[in-house]
Amino acid sequence: MVVHEATNDDAGMEDSENESPESESELEESESEGDEDVKLAEPSKNAINNKDGLLEKLEDISWPQNVEWMHKLSVDIDREQEVDVNDDLMRELGFYTQALEGTRQAFVKIQSMGLPFLRPSDYYAEMVKSDTHMEKVKGRLLAEKKRIEEAEERKKARESKKIAKEVQAQKQKERAKQKKEEIESVKKWRKQRQRSGFPSNNKEHDLDLSFEDGKGFERSKKQQWVAPGDRSGGKTGKFGGRGNKGTDKKKNNREFRNSKFGFGGRKGLKKQNTAETTNDFKGFSKNNNNGKKRKR
Amino acid sequence: MGKKRKHSETNAANNVKKEDGAEERPKRTLLGWKNKVEEKQETDSVGFRNKEKVLVTCSRRISFRYRHLMLNVVSLLPHCKKDNKVESKSSKGATLNELVELKGCSSCLFFECRKGKDLYLWMAKSPNGPSVKFLVNAVHTMEELKLTGNHLKGSRPILTFSTNFDTEPHWKLLKEMIVQIFGTPKEHRKSKPYHDHVFVFSILDDHVWFRNYQISCPHTADTQKIDRNDLEKMTLVEVGPRFCLNPIKIFGGSFGGPTLYENPFYISPNQIRSLEKKQKAGKYAKKVKAKTRRKMHEMANPLEVDQLAHMWDEE
Repeated sequence: MVVHEATNDDAGMEDSENESPESESELEESESEGDEDVKLAEPSKNAINNKDGLLEKLEDISWPQNVEWMHKLSVDIDREQEVDVNDDLMRELGFYTQALEGTRQAFVKIQSMGLPFLRPSDYYAEMVKSDTHMEKVKGRLLAEKKRIEEAEERKKARESKKIAKEVQAQKQKERAKQKKEEIESVKKWRKQRQRSGFPSNNKEHDLDLSFEDGKGFERSKKQQWVAPGDRSGGKTGKFGGRGNKGTDKKKNNREFRNSKFGFGGRKGLKKQNTAETTNDFKGFSKNNNNGKKRKR
Repeated sequence: MGKKRKHSETNAANNVKKEDGAEERPKRTLLGWKNKVEEKQETDSVGFRNKEKVLVTCSRRISFRYRHLMLNVVSLLPHCKKDNKVESKSSKGATLNELVELKGCSSCLFFECRKGKDLYLWMAKSPNGPSVKFLVNAVHTMEELKLTGNHLKGSRPILTFSTNFDTEPHWKLLKEMIVQIFGTPKEHRKSKPYHDHVFVFSILDDHVWFRNYQISCPHTADTQKIDRNDLEKMTLVEVGPRFCLNPIKIFGGSFGGPTLYENPFYISPNQIRSLEKKQKAGKYAKKVKAKTRRKMHEMANPLEVDQLAHMWDEE
C-alpha cells in the first residue's frame, strides 16, 4: 500500500525537490549569520578610511607644536598586555593602573615646574558631588560594613554555641568534683578531730555537728499555713471567728477586724476555697443553708 | 581658529622664564604681597591661550539616565555651556552649528537619544573642524552610590591616554579632540588651581573607555612637595561617570561634511535588535520545513517490504 502511494506522488514531488535545495541553502546562510557575534562582524570592505584627510584635519585643529605641557596635561601610558573586555575586574584594574601611572608622571612633572598641585587641607570649595550625596554614600558604606559585621557575629555565635555545650559539661563535672573533694576534706577533718580526743560534750561541738549533718538549715518549726490573700499572716484563726467577749474586747476589736478584713484591697482572694477549706462544712447546716453564717 | 594658533609665538614665554631666575622683592598690590608664582603664570599666558568653550546639549526625549550623564559631564567641564534641549531630526546640523556660533563656543558635545534607549554622542569642533559620532555604551552616572570618590568642582583634570591612541590616524585625531574638549583651559576663570582628579581614556576592543578617578595623596598640609614614598602611597578612588564610546563616523565639517572615517565593525543597535528578532521569529517556518523535508526523504527512500511480513497470513 505504502509503496504504491509513494510511486504515485513521486512525479509531483520532484519539482518541489528541485526548489528545496536553494531554500535550504538560504536558510543555512541566515543561520550562520545569526550564530556570529553580533557586535563584531567582518570588517566591511567599503568602509571609508581617508587617512590623509584625517591627518590634514588633525593638522588643522591641533595646537602649535611647542605649546607647553601645562596646557595639555595629558600623559600617555603604555598598557602592557591586552585585556579581555568582558573580564570586568581585569579591565578596571587596567584603567586604574593607567590612571595611577599617569598621575605619578604628571605630578613629578608639575613638581619639577614648581607649581602648586596638591590641595591644601584648609582649602574648601565646591565639590562635584554635594554633601547630601556624600552623606548617602557614607551611609551605604556604613550599612554594608554593619551587615558584614552582623553576619560575622552570627557565624561566631553559631560556632560558639557548639563549643558551649562541651564547656558546660566540663564545668559541671568540675563543680561536682570540687564538691566531692570538699565534703571529703571535711569528713577527714572531723575524723582527725575525733581521733585526737576533742571533748565531744562541748556546746560548740554540738553546734558544729548540727551544721555538719546538713540539718542545720532545716526549719525547726513548720510555719503556719497562710491562705492566699490573707493579710493577717494566719492570725485570723488565732483570734477565732467570733472574737473574744472578754475584757479586752474593745481593745482587740480593731485589730481583729483589721486582721480579718484587712485595709481595703482585693477581697476576692479571701473568698476562694483553698485546699483546707474545701471539705470543711463547719459553717454549713442543713436547716439553715442560706450561707450567711459561713464560718471558717 | 586653528590656523591662527599655529602662528602664535611661544618664544616670549621662554624668555620670561629666564628672567625670572633673578631674585626680586615681591610686589605689593592692593590685595597684599604678590607671589612670584602668580606673576609667572600671567606672563606665560602671553604666548598661547586656550580659549576652548564647549556647548553641551541634548536632544528632546532623552531618558533620565542619559540626561544625568550629560549633567555629570557638565559638572566636570567648567569651561562648558549648557543649553536647552534641541529638537533634532531634520536640518539638525545647521541648527546646531548656528546654536554653537550663537553661544560663542568652539566645540560641542551633543547627546542624541533615539528610541529612548540608544545614546549617540556627537563631538564636534565648531566652525570648520571635524566632528565625530559615537555610540555610547555601558553608562554609569555619578549618582551611583558605588562610586565613592569626590573632588573639587573645576579643578583641572590630568588626562591619561593609552598608547594605542597613536597607532591610527583616526585615533590620533580623536585624541587631539578629546584633549581640547575635555581638558580644562589653563587659568580658566572657573577652574581651581589644584589637581585632584584624573581622566582615563583607553582604547579597548576598538572602543574608547572613559573613567574619572579622584587622587588621594597623603601629604603634609603646608608643603607642596612629594617624594617617591608619597607617590607609592597614592591611591585613586573612582568618582564617575563611566561610559564607553564606540566611534561610528568621523566627518570633515562640524555636524556634517565629507565622511573621513567609517567604523568597519559597526552594527547599529537597530540592526542588532532586528537580527535578534529574526532569530526568534524563524521557529515555526523551520519546523514546517523540517517536516516537509522528512516527508520527502521518506518518499524518496521507501522501505523494502519485509520478507517475513506475510509469513503468518496464509495460516
